[in-house]
Amino acid sequence: MRPFIYTPTSTVSAATQKLKANPHAKYLAGGTNLLDLMKEDVEKPTELVDITRLVLTEVKAITTGVNKGGITIGALGKNTDTANHPLIRQNFPLLTQSILAGASAQIRNMASNGGNLNQRTRCPYFYETSMPCNKREPGSGCGALEGINRMHAIFGWSQACVAVHPSDMCVALAALDAVVKVQGADGKERSIPFTDYHRLPGDTPQKDNTLNPGELITSIEIPINNFANTSYYLKVRDRASYAFALISVAAGVELEGTRIKQAKIALGGVAHKPWRALEAEKFLIGKEATEANFKQAAELEMKSAKPLEHNEFKIELGKRAITRALMQAMTGGKA
Amino acid sequence: MSEVKNVGQAINRIDGIVKVTGTATYATDYILKNTAHAVIFKSTIAAGKITKMDTTDAEKSAGVLAVITHKNAPKLNAKGGIRGGALLQSPDIEFYGQHIGVVVAETFEQARYAAKLVKVTYEKGEAKVDFAKHAKEAVLPKEEEKADAIRGDVESAFNNAEFKMEAVYETPIEHHNPMEPHSTIAFWEGEKVTLYNGSQIVNGAQTAAAATLNIKPENVRIVTPHIGGGFGSKGGQWANLVLTAVAAKTVNRPVKLALTRQQMFNSVGLRQKNQQKIRLAATKDGKLTALAHETTTHSAINNEFVEPCGDCSKVMYETPNSLISYRVVPMNIILPTYTRGPGKSTGSFALESAMDELAYQLKIDPIEFRIKNEPAKDPSNGKPWSSRTTVQCLQEGAKAFGWEKRKMEPRQQEQGEYLIGYGVACGSYPARQRDTSAIVKLSRKGSDVKATIELAASDLGTGTHTIIAQTASDALGIPIKNITVHIGDSSLPPAAGSVGSVGAASFANAVNDACNKITDELLAKSGKQFFARPTAASLMVSENIAEFQTRMDAKPPADADQYSAHSFNANFAEVWVNKYTGMVRVPRFLAVTGAGKILNPKTARSQIIGGCVWGIGMALTEESILDPRWGNFVTRSLAEYHVPSNLDIGKIETIFINEIDTKPNTLGVKGIGEVGIVGVAGAVANAIFNATGKRVRELPITPDKLL
Repeated sequence: MRPFIYTPTSTVSAATQKLKANPHAKYLAGGTNLLDLMKEDVEKPTELVDITRLVLTEVKAITTGVNKGGITIGALGKNTDTANHPLIRQNFPLLTQSILAGASAQIRNMASNGGNLNQRTRCPYFYETSMPCNKREPGSGCGALEGINRMHAIFGWSQACVAVHPSDMCVALAALDAVVKVQGADGKERSIPFTDYHRLPGDTPQKDNTLNPGELITSIEIPINNFANTSYYLKVRDRASYAFALISVAAGVELEGTRIKQAKIALGGVAHKPWRALEAEKFLIGKEATEANFKQAAELEMKSAKPLEHNEFKIELGKRAITRALMQAMTGGKA
Repeated sequence: MSEVKNVGQAINRIDGIVKVTGTATYATDYILKNTAHAVIFKSTIAAGKITKMDTTDAEKSAGVLAVITHKNAPKLNAKGGIRGGALLQSPDIEFYGQHIGVVVAETFEQARYAAKLVKVTYEKGEAKVDFAKHAKEAVLPKEEEKADAIRGDVESAFNNAEFKMEAVYETPIEHHNPMEPHSTIAFWEGEKVTLYNGSQIVNGAQTAAAATLNIKPENVRIVTPHIGGGFGSKGGQWANLVLTAVAAKTVNRPVKLALTRQQMFNSVGLRQKNQQKIRLAATKDGKLTALAHETTTHSAINNEFVEPCGDCSKVMYETPNSLISYRVVPMNIILPTYTRGPGKSTGSFALESAMDELAYQLKIDPIEFRIKNEPAKDPSNGKPWSSRTTVQCLQEGAKAFGWEKRKMEPRQQEQGEYLIGYGVACGSYPARQRDTSAIVKLSRKGSDVKATIELAASDLGTGTHTIIAQTASDALGIPIKNITVHIGDSSLPPAAGSVGSVGAASFANAVNDACNKITDELLAKSGKQFFARPTAASLMVSENIAEFQTRMDAKPPADADQYSAHSFNANFAEVWVNKYTGMVRVPRFLAVTGAGKILNPKTARSQIIGGCVWGIGMALTEESILDPRWGNFVTRSLAEYHVPSNLDIGKIETIFINEIDTKPNTLGVKGIGEVGIVGVAGAVANAIFNATGKRVRELPITPDKLL
């Protein structure tokens, strides 16, 4: 590990000022991803600004304004606490399921909500410093594009990068139309719609998200929805626990009688960001909630998928997973 | 004799308390004053040579005491018995991740940082790392045991058969990944070096280290009372052991060197990828007429290791025509090595899958099919079995498992989103005792007699301490609490290793023989005649002896070789395959094992469960994937190399066949470590076929293969 300065802070403004002063500094929250990357010499911050003392841990109901009935989640809440919060279990079980599908109990106990958003890809070429990786070292090439890419993207990838975002929680947040609240060194707050928070790689895969330098996530807001009991998070993986998704699906179905008023579907393990299945969503509006319609929606969504050498299976798996997740959603996973 | 027998009882392990309280000393747990820390750094190409190595920045970095590379390393003997090369003797690179240097510093962090500052320039050679591309270049191995073994005429039997099957089964590279990564503390006192180092074969580690370091074996002491797993990777020793000794000598201080988990993937061997072609032919009523098992694999560029995939095929079934062969291609991949159930676990996957395939074709129950082809004697050498329990394992297992519920046709059982299937597969592993010496020391205070047992045995975590205490307790008439077991030290009498399922048989028989010998000597010393043979403990008291000791150099029975002795098993798996996602669950697994005398049913059960877990991992999750362009493993940590998680493992049950077979050794101990994994993957794969109708011949069976 390279030598670095450790700077504890106690307020948001102090923390953001520190990052403004040192562009090579990074925030340290749970550290479950950042410290690993530093040990591997992938991340090389010269300073760690410890934000764990900041009071950004609360989960609370939004009682006023347009998002009344929604919920706000502190950026420094632990993944475990967030998943198990009674308000979230009751009103946003999709979020609970997605968080508990990720990592291991030990990691979830340490990992923060904001850190979950900002965790980096687990692409092995990103981790292995002797390999080319445009995300780690812009211009060095993409090791995975023509390498071992079974775990990689089928949507939205570029010649520069085929990595996927590893989070489960973020897939649910994308389906839930969450909003990321951030604050910069100038004290200004900004709200970023969740689907705009992460980005596609394009020519600049080194940028995972649309945060400006030094901006800090303070909270995540989730608007109320009408599919708490008709939602489901399905994760398909190589082992039952502690494995990244081959494909995951966060699905919420709002019904009007037997018809679908609207469906919210996001996919994990398929793109550089949580992938909103907009084609499928559009198709399902006003349709009967039947397996045949779910299947057709899934087929439509997967039409634009572009597989790499080793991940063509994700197309068939994606179709099945979307269909199955929607079916499971109809009973809130209690089938 | 003591009234209460300890051997055969499910007593708790005597080292349990020190383990659960964290006071058991593993290799790097020893605290030595002034210890420096070493970190290995590695090549980033798979073939070629180092043309320039600039260590200036590393040497100047804070806390650095030495940077050792091929340019300044002492001359070592590359043929001294250390496996896998990488001894910093030349600029040549033979595989990706080969050790190319060691940084020694005051702290671990300083050493790791400085290692990143070394600048290496390479001249790249042509790397052979893509097995698919080079498999056709494979040739006959040099090792005599891997010569083509031919009985009868397989070709004509196969061609003329009414029922036959031919298929290629593929198993991937696997890594041992013991919980305790390979790690060493070395310190020198004059000419003598002490090495705290996890070693499955204590004396083997000693002789290999000595020969490689060009010093006398008596100047090397290996200390390894506890080992955090090894699975074969700590059987032979690897460069990290001697490089720690070199580092300690260089800085003239104790040095600690622990490989990182990532480094484990190209430092301490692996289970090679195998391509196994099986051909089986049978008569209509299910008698095998031909069995061919042809394995193609890879080894290191300058060293050959081929795991014996055809071994089970040699002994499991009666057939007049048989062919077992191997072909191997040298590649720029680290030397493969012994890995739990070497050859048998991977080979049985192929053989037992094939048996299942042919049984299905014949519409004969796979258990019945196996029993029909039960050999009366060892088909490979004509020797009589010392005992054979395959049929018993199958029949008792079928009853306990509820095999009668299985349907011959696949896809007949469904529940919710799952397809349910049952599978069976058999396994075997040779039972052998190896030369082992032991010292028994007795001491008495009043009527309280205590014993210390000393031998250079090893305990992988499997229970060696405990079975030695149990054996000695019964043989001496001394309660277990009065017995001290001193093992894992090369200064003790030489012993076999915890490898190849020879440990328990070798250690327990040697200790038993030593205890009998000391009793004989005490009897002689007393000069008396006894109506019933007294125990050593009672003789110490009756003859008023304060201290007494003896040494026994135990050997296997002279006629052990006249028999073919094996442990046998039958494995039963129930799998649930998700119809939509292809994810597989194994809610129930049963292993029935015939392994002679079970010294401790509790530790034995744990060991079999461990074998089942790894076998299930072999079937479903474990695979080390190389980038065919560069030769690096892209599965480079336990996040990508998937061993089963708790949630992947359901209920595992074990049954031991009650048998007495004293032909292989006096106590009738046949060994369970290796056989525990043999047949497991086959049972799971066969159950998946029964559930889904899909025959997957390429492990691991991940969800994408079942869509």
